[in-house]
Amino acid sequence: MPKIKINGKEVEVPQGSTVIQAFKAAGQDICHYCWHPGLSVAGVCRLCMVQIEGMPRLQIACNTEVKDGMVVNNTSEAVKETVRWGMDFHLINHPLDCPICDQAGECGLQEQYMQFGSYDPEMAEPKVKKHKVVDLGPTVVLDSERCILCSRCVRFTDEVSKTHELGIFNRGDRSEIGVVEGKPLDNNYSLNTVDICPVGALTSKDFRFRQRVWYLKDADSICPGCSTGCNVKVHYNEEGLWRVKPRYNPDVNGYWMCDSGRDTYKFVNVQTRLLAGKIGQRGSWAEKSPAEATRSVAQRLNEVVEQSGPDAVAVVVTGQYTNEEYADLFKFLVQDLKVKNIFHWLNNPEKTTEFDGLLLRGDLNPNTQGLEGAFKANVGKGNWEDLQVGLSGGKIKLALVFGPENQSSFPDIKEKVQMLSQAQSMVWFTACHSADLDEAGCETWQIPLKTYIEKSGSFTNFQGKVQTFKVGTTVVPQALTVSEVCELLAGRDLNWALRPKSLGGAKANYATTHRGAL
Amino acid sequence: MEVKLLSEHYEKPEFQKLEGYKKHGGYQVLSKALKMDPKAIIEEVKASGLRGRGGAGFPTGTKWSFLPANGEPRYLLCNADEGEPGTFKDRLMMERAPHQLIEGMLISAFAIGSKKSYIYIRGEYDYPIAVVRAAIGEAYKAGYLGKNILGSGFDHDMDVYAGAGAYICGEETGMISSLEGLKGQPKLKPPFPAIQGYLRKPTIVNNVETLAAVKYIIRDGAAAYRKYGTEKSAGTKLFSVSGNVVRPGNYEVPLGIPLKTLINDVCGGLRPGRQLKAVIPGGSSAPVLTAEESWKVTMDYEALAQMGSMLGSGAVIVIDDSNNMVDMLSVLMHFYHHESCGQCTPCREGTGWLNKIVHRILHGHGETKDLDLISKVAQQMMGKTICALSDAAAMPAISFVTKFRDEFESHIRKGGHTAQVRGAAHA
Repeated sequence: MPKIKINGKEVEVPQGSTVIQAFKAAGQDICHYCWHPGLSVAGVCRLCMVQIEGMPRLQIACNTEVKDGMVVNNTSEAVKETVRWGMDFHLINHPLDCPICDQAGECGLQEQYMQFGSYDPEMAEPKVKKHKVVDLGPTVVLDSERCILCSRCVRFTDEVSKTHELGIFNRGDRSEIGVVEGKPLDNNYSLNTVDICPVGALTSKDFRFRQRVWYLKDADSICPGCSTGCNVKVHYNEEGLWRVKPRYNPDVNGYWMCDSGRDTYKFVNVQTRLLAGKIGQRGSWAEKSPAEATRSVAQRLNEVVEQSGPDAVAVVVTGQYTNEEYADLFKFLVQDLKVKNIFHWLNNPEKTTEFDGLLLRGDLNPNTQGLEGAFKANVGKGNWEDLQVGLSGGKIKLALVFGPENQSSFPDIKEKVQMLSQAQSMVWFTACHSADLDEAGCETWQIPLKTYIEKSGSFTNFQGKVQTFKVGTTVVPQALTVSEVCELLAGRDLNWALRPKSLGGAKANYATTHRGAL
Repeated sequence: MEVKLLSEHYEKPEFQKLEGYKKHGGYQVLSKALKMDPKAIIEEVKASGLRGRGGAGFPTGTKWSFLPANGEPRYLLCNADEGEPGTFKDRLMMERAPHQLIEGMLISAFAIGSKKSYIYIRGEYDYPIAVVRAAIGEAYKAGYLGKNILGSGFDHDMDVYAGAGAYICGEETGMISSLEGLKGQPKLKPPFPAIQGYLRKPTIVNNVETLAAVKYIIRDGAAAYRKYGTEKSAGTKLFSVSGNVVRPGNYEVPLGIPLKTLINDVCGGLRPGRQLKAVIPGGSSAPVLTAEESWKVTMDYEALAQMGSMLGSGAVIVIDDSNNMVDMLSVLMHFYHHESCGQCTPCREGTGWLNKIVHRILHGHGETKDLDLISKVAQQMMGKTICALSDAAAMPAISFVTKFRDEFESHIRKGGHTAQVRGAAHA
């Protein structure tokens, strides 16, 4: 591996690395816009200029391959001056609308101007006028005046999504990003272009004008949208979750995630959540605290097991919970209660092996592998036909359902509610309220559960890779995890002092239910 | 004075057609070359000291030897985009002697082992495109193109590609992008075209005049070619002389000729009563020379470089005292602003910025400090981009405002009301 000296610091980098990669490896700051580690080299922003000993001219670090013994710096006055001017060239026609720009606070221009620019601008000419509020497609809006033409978004649609919607039209300082008429930016990865846009040129319709980014906190998590398990960052404040962005993991998702995964913040917010335990059936529901409601479930469970034995209990589980929750659940059901009738509720089973070629998999559960593992370790998976027979024959008295957390990926909720209503009573553990469930025709408990961002645990993705995550924030503090449900069902109490509290009042958050418009 | 080597038969209309071309020894050099060792041809071209006539002046033989030893396919591209303002020599060569170009290209293609070549002609050149296409048709019919040329076993196909008129497509990698069907934008180097060019295959790009000259080098030998010109700038060169001279036009002269001789003797001098103010010696990108410098300089790569300018494409723009330098610069800045492809930020933004400043000065809203700003901005545009367009815009800007600062300052003082501004007489 070649060795290279960067600003006096020696690093060893893999053969074929570029100088800019070596800068990153050495932990040295280098100014750049157009270079992105997940895309090809464009070499157009001309900001990653470095001085290489033995070369008369400054070189761009992104297109220069490391050679053994290279001595490179970007701290000489010549480089600094060039970078300052490079910044100025980027900024002379850039609008000064930071106060109303969504990118402000996480903007490459702002940050790098402070770090590498800080000059007195001399531009006194009228700025170039370009198109504003260009509707590129269902998810993304373009402001051409803010665009610095780094071409990252174009390269993304060419190289990653391979959908080729975006291009640079016109020449010189009239150049603008655009789409061809009739072919909008409409693919399931379109919002990655917003992430990689170093300025506020591309904004997400879903997020623009919703929040100032400096009012948001973020937490690392795993996307629960499908079995790929993309590593994500969830951005939230006391009002709830506002957006999900990808987090780099070379083994799973690289730098990207799909647009449908980005919607997984929506069902977490209070508007869609089940906030209290509900007991009753169609037309008459009584509310209780989740813990109280669960205790009354425990009572009923014990009665049924005592009177009719554990075979009178059927349990339906979806692949939406953590490995730790499955372990507790199966331990309680199989070892303590001796329940044998446990069924795997798999949404769209005919599509589970589908794959879009990039990230999104047909299995829209984050932890099908974990659930399968729990079945294997404890008890065989129940057969749905047996369940039907048991229900219609009256053998099954009580059905416990650990239902979908993300209801949008379960098209058959109504069908399952109707099927399981054939039992004497049914208990649904669910994060979100469901109109179908409110129409249940038998005695029903609805117990609110926590969502992925409100609990710690791990998901096992399609590769069998176990990915752990921690509590990010708490939206519905009274909701329970499956492990807590098991504790309560077993008649034990929870340590209430240790339970997380809500971060603040739950204000109206219309962004959770409405896809943004222009 | 004039030496008619390439342009010997340009006056004869018959030279345009195959029959007339053959009457004057056409395609005889090709049959000589096809019997030579390709390596010997490259050596001969190297020995001749031939340098690229398109603008950069890079030694042609050396360029050819950058090709990898093996590897098919490899392409020869003839750059006939001729976008440099002031240049019109390739047009003449294609109109008057298309077969001369084809023969030169065939010899070159044989030398570098290429079986396919393209002539990239700028879109505005309707007539040259038609002439060259017709000539290629004739050559195919006569067996000078196609399979087994003159029984040598050498196959070669040739095509004309009409550009769309972008200046940047005269830059070799910009031309390759355009030829590939992409937006005409230069590519990052490395890789260089000789390694990965057209369709990512080894590619050589040469100017029309360079390729035509190869024929005469092989015909007469390197030593004979070297008789013309200077030690480092060998051979003859076609100069496109335009502007305020009595007889503007294309003139073939040996390199190293004094500019004074070119203007006064070859082109008939300045118009009566006029004084020389400046000369742009090598196309609009070349730094301008003052009258004093112009009378001293000789037209070869080294002498012009020493003077801080360049030979470029050999477009000599003669400017007499009836012209206003602010006006001249505003035209140039408009051109580069219009033609910047927009890829690299310093060029995209810099050309626009310079254009705005210069036009503001032209229209009487300038300040003296703007002249320093022009120099500063232009300085930062040099050597910072993928191709040389940024430098091409910066060099005239710097040279105009430094060498003719008095005139710029006086224009600023007078609030733009200088008599010589274009159209002022009619206003």
